[in-house]
Amino acid sequence: MKRFSPVIRNLTRKPGRTAALVLLTAFLALSVFAGSVVVSSLRQGLGSMENRLGADIIVVPAEAESRFGLKNLLLQGTVGAFYMDASALERVRETEGVGKASAQVFLSSMKADCCSVKVQIIGFDPDTDFVVQPWIAESLNRPLEDLEVVIGCRVAAEVGEDFRIYDRKCRVAARLAQTGTGLDTAVYCNLNTIHTLLRAAEEKGISHKIDSGNDADVVSAVYVRVAPGADVGQVNNLLNGHVRKATAVRTAGMISEVSDSLAGVSNTIAVLIGTVWGLALLILLIVFAMMVNERRRELAVYRLLGMSRRMLSGLILKETVLCSLAGALCGIALGAVLIFPFTTLIETSLKLPYLTPAPGTVLLYAAAAAAVTVAAACIAGFRTALRLSRVDPGSTLREGA
Amino acid sequence: MKKHAFAWILLILAAVISVGSVTVLGPCVHADGSEAVCSRAGRAILIDGCVLAGLAVLLFFLRTPTGRTAVLFLVLCASAVGIALPGTLFPLCRMDSMHCRAVMQPATIILFAAALVVSAAGIISERKKDRRTKS
Repeated sequence: MKRFSPVIRNLTRKPGRTAALVLLTAFLALSVFAGSVVVSSLRQGLGSMENRLGADIIVVPAEAESRFGLKNLLLQGTVGAFYMDASALERVRETEGVGKASAQVFLSSMKADCCSVKVQIIGFDPDTDFVVQPWIAESLNRPLEDLEVVIGCRVAAEVGEDFRIYDRKCRVAARLAQTGTGLDTAVYCNLNTIHTLLRAAEEKGISHKIDSGNDADVVSAVYVRVAPGADVGQVNNLLNGHVRKATAVRTAGMISEVSDSLAGVSNTIAVLIGTVWGLALLILLIVFAMMVNERRRELAVYRLLGMSRRMLSGLILKETVLCSLAGALCGIALGAVLIFPFTTLIETSLKLPYLTPAPGTVLLYAAAAAAVTVAAACIAGFRTALRLSRVDPGSTLREGA
Repeated sequence: MKKHAFAWILLILAAVISVGSVTVLGPCVHADGSEAVCSRAGRAILIDGCVLAGLAVLLFFLRTPTGRTAVLFLVLCASAVGIALPGTLFPLCRMDSMHCRAVMQPATIILFAAALVVSAAGIISERKKDRRTKS
């Protein structure tokens, strides 16, 4: 610390100049840290979405895709319910190239007296499901019983708590890990529970327009995994021909759509960071250039007092390192305050899957942002340090006299 | 301006909290006009923000370091209560994606935490001044 004491005295003696340098470097660190965390979260969200979709094709009623948009249901947690005849599942299974098929039934709860909150309720068949169960198994190591639900991580309820849906109490059995998609706001249950809830909704006067009148005869979506070696595109075309009043949607298409949007956002962020850096570096160079003139006489005095050129360069570089380090820490702290508490807001605004990286990765980004900021400031300061160390003390002091 | 720096910062924070709690940082609004679960939390934040503003104004008129320290201590308490208002003392809606959880809660906590830090710094500064005048 003793080595830095004259440097600290120099910095505190000119609070305005020091504050300007700290602010500028804070801005640099903020843009790098916040930008890299957002881009990394988006990439992680896309990876999580790919892992969690689990199916190659989703078959939904024809009007569902146009009315709700599967992408909206999966990414933004848009609440919606649509039904098709349960025979669609058999027709899907009969289609050549289909390896596994499992049906799900959707129901949306109402934001009213009967329900704790408006959520998308997804009923799955535990005997055939290959989409939800591997994911539930991470949080629950037993089969889901009737009137038990598993909630997404964004539904504010505790395990063991009763969750009221259409005046039926459902016990929360487990809470799922975060996916960064709309699936985080859904509630999962088995088919018996969803049929009970469908009947409860009808008792409440909420019609689901089920033609046969029997809620056991309907499904909302059929998730398909193609047989090994089968071509997904071909199976998708076959399903579109075989299953009447339904549309088969390839999940790869949805993922590539999201991936395209993500690339767009990443590019925009990269351009913004580039612009901020370009401007800030330019300002840093100007600030240091102005410092050369301002501090010429001060450094000439140091030279007269016996400081070598090397010591002078070291003094200026130490000042730059201290200022930029303080700025980098401030910028990173500000970035953390702006990014982490508002994760949900960022996700809903971008309308893309968003999953914050692990704390270790965030710390790595913070360290990298600090290192890059300090290095950039040192590069800008190095030229100034060299110029100032070459100042001829005699002539400089005579000029000012 | 420099003499009342803490009072000014607290007044600005209190104004942002109070105005924000009835505008962008407010509770959820149901389309059917019914009251959301988080609306009581919103009202509590508004009241706490106004209390904070009142205390900040009081700081401008107090001259003795002891009096100012006492008011700053009250600001510190009000800020601590403010941090606990959304979610702990008053319930919020049950979905993380709703406005009260996505915007109101984090923003309120950050603003009240900032007020808490400023008031703590103010207390330290006033005590230093007090010691200096006594010696």
